[in-house]
Amino acid sequence: MNKSPTTRSRTAVLNRRTILAAAGAATAALAAPRILHAQGKELVVGGAASHKGFVETIIAPVVEKKFSCKVVFEGSRSLVNLEKMQKNKDKQYLSVVMMDDPVMIPAVAEGLLAPLTAAKVPNLAALKPGTIHMDGMWCNYLQPWLGIAYNPKAMKTAPTSWADVYDPKYKGRVILPSLQNTEGLANLFMAAFLATGKPMAEAQKDIDAGFKKLVTIKPNLLTAYTQMPQAYNLLEQGEGFMISSAISQVALERKAAGAPVEIAVPKEGIFAMPSGVALVKGGPQPELAAGYINEMIGPEIQAKLSAATYSLPTNKDTPVPAGAPTNATIFGIDWKFVADNRADWVKRWDRDMAM
Amino acid sequence: MTTKGAASPWRDPVALLAVPAVLYLLVVYAFPLLWLFMKSLTGPTGLTVQPYVSFLSDPFNWRIVGNTLRVAGWVTLVCFLIGYPAAFALARAGALLQIVMLVSIILPLSIGAVVKAFAWQIVLRRDGVVAQLLVGVGIWDEPQRLLFTETGLVLGAANIFLPFMILPIYSVVKLINPRLSEAGATLGATPLYRFTHVTLPLTLPGVVSGVAFVFSMSVSMFVIPSLLIGDRFQTLSTLMGRSFLLMRNEQLGSTTAVILLVLAVSIVVGSTWLARRLGGSAT
Repeated sequence: MNKSPTTRSRTAVLNRRTILAAAGAATAALAAPRILHAQGKELVVGGAASHKGFVETIIAPVVEKKFSCKVVFEGSRSLVNLEKMQKNKDKQYLSVVMMDDPVMIPAVAEGLLAPLTAAKVPNLAALKPGTIHMDGMWCNYLQPWLGIAYNPKAMKTAPTSWADVYDPKYKGRVILPSLQNTEGLANLFMAAFLATGKPMAEAQKDIDAGFKKLVTIKPNLLTAYTQMPQAYNLLEQGEGFMISSAISQVALERKAAGAPVEIAVPKEGIFAMPSGVALVKGGPQPELAAGYINEMIGPEIQAKLSAATYSLPTNKDTPVPAGAPTNATIFGIDWKFVADNRADWVKRWDRDMAM
Repeated sequence: MTTKGAASPWRDPVALLAVPAVLYLLVVYAFPLLWLFMKSLTGPTGLTVQPYVSFLSDPFNWRIVGNTLRVAGWVTLVCFLIGYPAAFALARAGALLQIVMLVSIILPLSIGAVVKAFAWQIVLRRDGVVAQLLVGVGIWDEPQRLLFTETGLVLGAANIFLPFMILPIYSVVKLINPRLSEAGATLGATPLYRFTHVTLPLTLPGVVSGVAFVFSMSVSMFVIPSLLIGDRFQTLSTLMGRSFLLMRNEQLGSTTAVILLVLAVSIVVGSTWLARRLGGSAT
């Protein structure tokens, strides 16, 4: 029988990868020492489909000009990038990956990433504390933050605390992300923080206390969403008043589009969402790849990127963009602990939060 | 149906016309299903039934099974109660009206379930038409929440699956001679007796296929519950979806899939058999 279409397309991909890898190897062999300033190089970066816009309009122009190279961005999802690296372990064609922190952990465990060093990436020194992970296996290039989104038409006074969503006067009006969604973890950790009064670093390990507090929100729950557009739909229509633990980038984009959405910075603090970047171990153009990451966390790109994505910069010398919280406490999340326990938490969430 | 020609299709060349469909279903349906089944039985050390034992020994999973069957049962019942009379109206309508009715039943099928689910979100919200109506006629004192309740889910799903109940019943009803019921009347049968002893048995094949369609679609729906009731109400389909997509637990996913399939098939086949028996004894 003839080859099926799937087989054929896979062959095509492999051919392209083979060519890319071969081209990378040839360039490296020919232009060994002064690789950064050679002409016509190509750097393949893997990331999420939603990153495509800012990679191509903000990061790539700066990097391409500085290193006279071409940045090729492959946008998919964090887990797909992980699979691309697993499948091509002996012959990587990606040089840089931009993935969520929780997915970085298995990538490190499988030996797919190469550490970032101050020698290769000098701008690491300018990063805020807590944004370099597992001894430099990856760093955060942005901090979209999590606060409480609310509908200013439905709520005359803005929420001021994460405890507000438990207030009985909001019966049936609060929307939470499912624990399946990354942003949903914040509510569990915050519940533990509110219940125990311990510092966040300790409180987020006390998951039992977190669940015991979280179940008390049930009378207030309108729904727990897995599809974010639905949550904003409900909020903007006024059926829901608040989304507890909303991503700044999404809420502020809706606000900019004219929707009745605001995001409040609760007094306890805000959570930083994980936006990580790492070097692929054995990937082509390693020095160019390090140069890309260095630029990404450098002041020029950081300023543009944080403004365009309504997020916080991770470079401590970069001013916080207008409208973003300036001196709020930022809670970090222990992603290793999350990765080890998430399946059990989701199981408990299903049981405890069921209608 | 079993006539003396029952064995002959194998010699009849017309049967060969089914070959493309059979091959297609084998490749895209039967083999993947078999693979899924094998996956659910394969543990780290070879064949095992452990996934089934641990699934079935967890009371929470029985609640999920209960949710799935209860909602599918309600959806099927609502579709039947609305669809059965509608099928008669459709079959007995004049030519022009019939076209209008058929178009209005079939056209909504071209709108995706996601769009319909979002529309139901507007209809069911606290200031939506349903709540306003119920408050207006005095059934409710104040608007209550319908969205993200089982009632809301059943209403929304019944709306989406209704054509699959109406059309099979309609196709049977239009073949029934209306005179049959009249003949019963001349013999002194009451309307109820005529319905239960003439009309209902004759329409039973259509009812059986309508029920089978609607039940099997609503027992396996995924998008509609995730939009109309959310994460706090698990069904076998949503559990299966998250096992594959989020937990990356293929074993749990395939085990759930097999359990769902077995439940759905046995209920559909069982109720068909029961209906045929009851129908047979009624005539």
